[in-house]
Amino acid sequence: MIVEGRPYIVKGVCYNPIPIGSDHSYDWWQDPNKPWMTDGKLMQQMGVNTIRIYQIGENPQSVKQVIRDLYNNFGIRVILGHWLGLLEYPCPFYGDKDFKERIKQEVLEMVRLYKDEPGVLLWILGNENNYSFSGLIHPWSTEEIDRDPDLNKRKIMRARIYYSYVNELAKEIHKIDPGHPVALGNGELIGLDVARDFAPDIDLVACIIYRGKTFGNLFNSLKVTFDKPLLLSEIGADSYDAYLKKEDQNMQAFFLESQWRQIYQNIAGYKTGAGNCLGGIIFEWTDEWWKHNESDEASWSVHDTEATWSNGSYYFDIKAPKNMNMNEEWFGIVALSEELKDGINKRIPKKAYYVIREFWRNPVLNNKNKNSRK
Amino acid sequence: MKKLKFRILTCIITFLLLSFFFPSFAQQVDNTLTLSNKLIKTDSRGEALGILGQLKDFYFKDNRYTEFVSLIKSFIGKNKTIEPLFNYYIALGRYSQLKYLEEAQDWDEYFSKGNDYRNEIVEKLEKAIESTGVDDIAHLWSYLLLWKFHRDLQDAFKDKALSELMDAALGYAKASKDASGIKRVADELLGDGQKGKARQLYKIYVDSLISSGADDEKIKEAAFGFYQESNLELAEVLYDVYIERVTRDYPKEKIIPILIEIARYFVYTDVKAGDPEYAEKIFQKIQDLGGKTSFNEDLMYMRAYNLEKQKEYSLAKDVYEDLIQYYPQSAYSDEATFKIAIIYAYVLKDLSKAKEYFERLSKKEVVSPEVVSSIYQLGLLSQWKGDFVKAREYYDNVIDKTKDETNEIAALARTRIQEIVEEKPIEYNLLMFLDASLKESPALLEGVKVDLRCSPYKAAKAKDIHITSTAYAGESGCMQVELSYLWSGDLGSAKPSNEQTTFLTNYTSAGIKVINLVVLSPSGIVDRSLDFLSID
Repeated sequence: MIVEGRPYIVKGVCYNPIPIGSDHSYDWWQDPNKPWMTDGKLMQQMGVNTIRIYQIGENPQSVKQVIRDLYNNFGIRVILGHWLGLLEYPCPFYGDKDFKERIKQEVLEMVRLYKDEPGVLLWILGNENNYSFSGLIHPWSTEEIDRDPDLNKRKIMRARIYYSYVNELAKEIHKIDPGHPVALGNGELIGLDVARDFAPDIDLVACIIYRGKTFGNLFNSLKVTFDKPLLLSEIGADSYDAYLKKEDQNMQAFFLESQWRQIYQNIAGYKTGAGNCLGGIIFEWTDEWWKHNESDEASWSVHDTEATWSNGSYYFDIKAPKNMNMNEEWFGIVALSEELKDGINKRIPKKAYYVIREFWRNPVLNNKNKNSRK
Repeated sequence: MKKLKFRILTCIITFLLLSFFFPSFAQQVDNTLTLSNKLIKTDSRGEALGILGQLKDFYFKDNRYTEFVSLIKSFIGKNKTIEPLFNYYIALGRYSQLKYLEEAQDWDEYFSKGNDYRNEIVEKLEKAIESTGVDDIAHLWSYLLLWKFHRDLQDAFKDKALSELMDAALGYAKASKDASGIKRVADELLGDGQKGKARQLYKIYVDSLISSGADDEKIKEAAFGFYQESNLELAEVLYDVYIERVTRDYPKEKIIPILIEIARYFVYTDVKAGDPEYAEKIFQKIQDLGGKTSFNEDLMYMRAYNLEKQKEYSLAKDVYEDLIQYYPQSAYSDEATFKIAIIYAYVLKDLSKAKEYFERLSKKEVVSPEVVSSIYQLGLLSQWKGDFVKAREYYDNVIDKTKDETNEIAALARTRIQEIVEEKPIEYNLLMFLDASLKESPALLEGVKVDLRCSPYKAAKAKDIHITSTAYAGESGCMQVELSYLWSGDLGSAKPSNEQTTFLTNYTSAGIKVINLVVLSPSGIVDRSLDFLSID
């Protein structure tokens, strides 16, 4: 990616600085203690050049202030995203005209409000919305889909409806804002064979990938499936060993270092890789203590150690009961302390912070052997 | 200078103390020195390999990789003829060190020195490769290690490294008479799941065994040896060659017993690793050669059971049907008939065929556990169809025929009778299984699968059996699909909840037991499965 005439590798973190004791509804954008100033400084020292925001705050002035503070003080750019209603109750109605129109207006409003901010890098539409195509999570449907008894056909019908809608949004955004790329947020590569035909106007794919130590054939697979540039918009690992039931910052650092090594091997200009990767965004900057049981307010002040999902690629603790090894509250590369400093929870960088900082300063890729061997 | 003298003195005193209190330490150090001296002087590649192997074992067993690498580095320049081996062993030391650091989670060294070690691995392997020819084992080993290194890193070179390794192996096979190197590479590839490439090299290895003049018996012996070592892939390649030879040279009557013997090694059993698919391939050869009459009663049962354990229910049903047709008086007859009926009903949705077999069994005068189970199944199908009078008759018959109060089928029949008396529907989990299995339903989602296993499949009464299920509901990222596990059928002493993916059970009565499972997501049925187990 070229930004202001220079190559730009996205070295990013997902940013959602919810303090201990609060949940996702906390409006950090208007926090008088400006946590982004503390974080921006730490990020700058690490080498972070981009943050990813899942959903903007409600007050445009506060949002603009955050974007300007980060960009003007630390040179950090912001990727702004929109969930496209995925988390709405009871489900996102992508077959419903009114629902789509409402979401579209929200998205276009976001673009109009922030497109002229110099700190904005690009837009991401959706996150893992494609997992809803199977009907197993956030199930949505239409009368036409329900009429077809074949579950596999239903899946494809949902994919067509959703990606057509994203394409329509991308075209509208391009009309308003030709200066910033529009990314399709997608879980893994699932559904992208449909997106190829129904969302040709998106500029890049922003994939959420949790594959542990290796991305496998991800980069080349995307080339075959939907040949667009790839931003790894969520990668990472948690820092809690669910099997040994103890914090393990090394495990997190180990996975992240390996993931960054492969990102660099597949960025444009690196001859032996796929050359289609724009960079990566680590999930996430700080731990979020509210995530395990969001309906229990008391638990927002507890750093829960119960894992909430399973992923065999993170093999050190996969032997945990029921293979539940992913601790959602421990994904930050910066820990939060209950102690306050400058009005916010004190930030304590974890090992991954330092390991990735060193990698970004000196990315060693073991590429010495490629030329000398015949 | 004073400091240096002090250090040397400290070392000598430490050495003397260690030697005094631990004579074996002195002996080991002495042994290492002797080996090192030999290594520097030898001009024999074979001797050098032996010595380096001993040194490696000595240092690696205590994870003293850095010391090993330092020692090998000290030989560089001292014996030019075996220098490629030194480079290879330095790389091997560092590779093993990185693996160890990862396994031991010794992250300080891993992060601070990992990149240095990686660079050293690549650098030394490059040197080893450049300074050796295709017929040199160090050349092949270096390519092997380079591939393992890139494979572990999953970097952009891994595919190229694999292709170079295959080229090196094929080159080595042509240029050298040593087949063991090829086998080693094949073993490593097999361990990594590269079955096709492993087989390709195993074939070369086998060809070299054959070209060395090995007769049929030698090949058979070698195949059995690898089978005993649990290298089934290589054993199969050798057995294939052996079978090809005997098929060419022997009459049919002599070949079939040979094939039967081989098939027996690979069929499914609870106690040893086999390859049921390979066994079925051999069974098919037997049938092609001699027809179905080549199978005696035991062998036919073995084939059907082997297919059943592969969850090839339709094919298993066909062989069970052959079994009762060819051997109607067989000891396996009741079991086979019951399984045929179950498969017709709950796998193939053919209710009329299922009933035909259940009824055939239910009319038998000698009451086996399968006879009782068949009557229960007839009751269940009647109840599901809404014919409660008929169902009640069947269930009463089950209770009449089972005098034992603890009999599990009788208990199930009583539960069903209670449902009829109280005008309640069939218990929810069981009803879901019957509906999912017997009604016409649209195709389930592709890529969504439930696997059901029992361990062991054959057990005595009161012995524990693990029932495990694995449900793959498709990709959902960090959003977990909420699944319910609806267990039904012959669950024995266990009452697993809908959240349990596995459970432990045991049985008080003998016979074939059928475990049913339906996996449910919030938007409907994900998949269903059934499994048979046998209680003596």
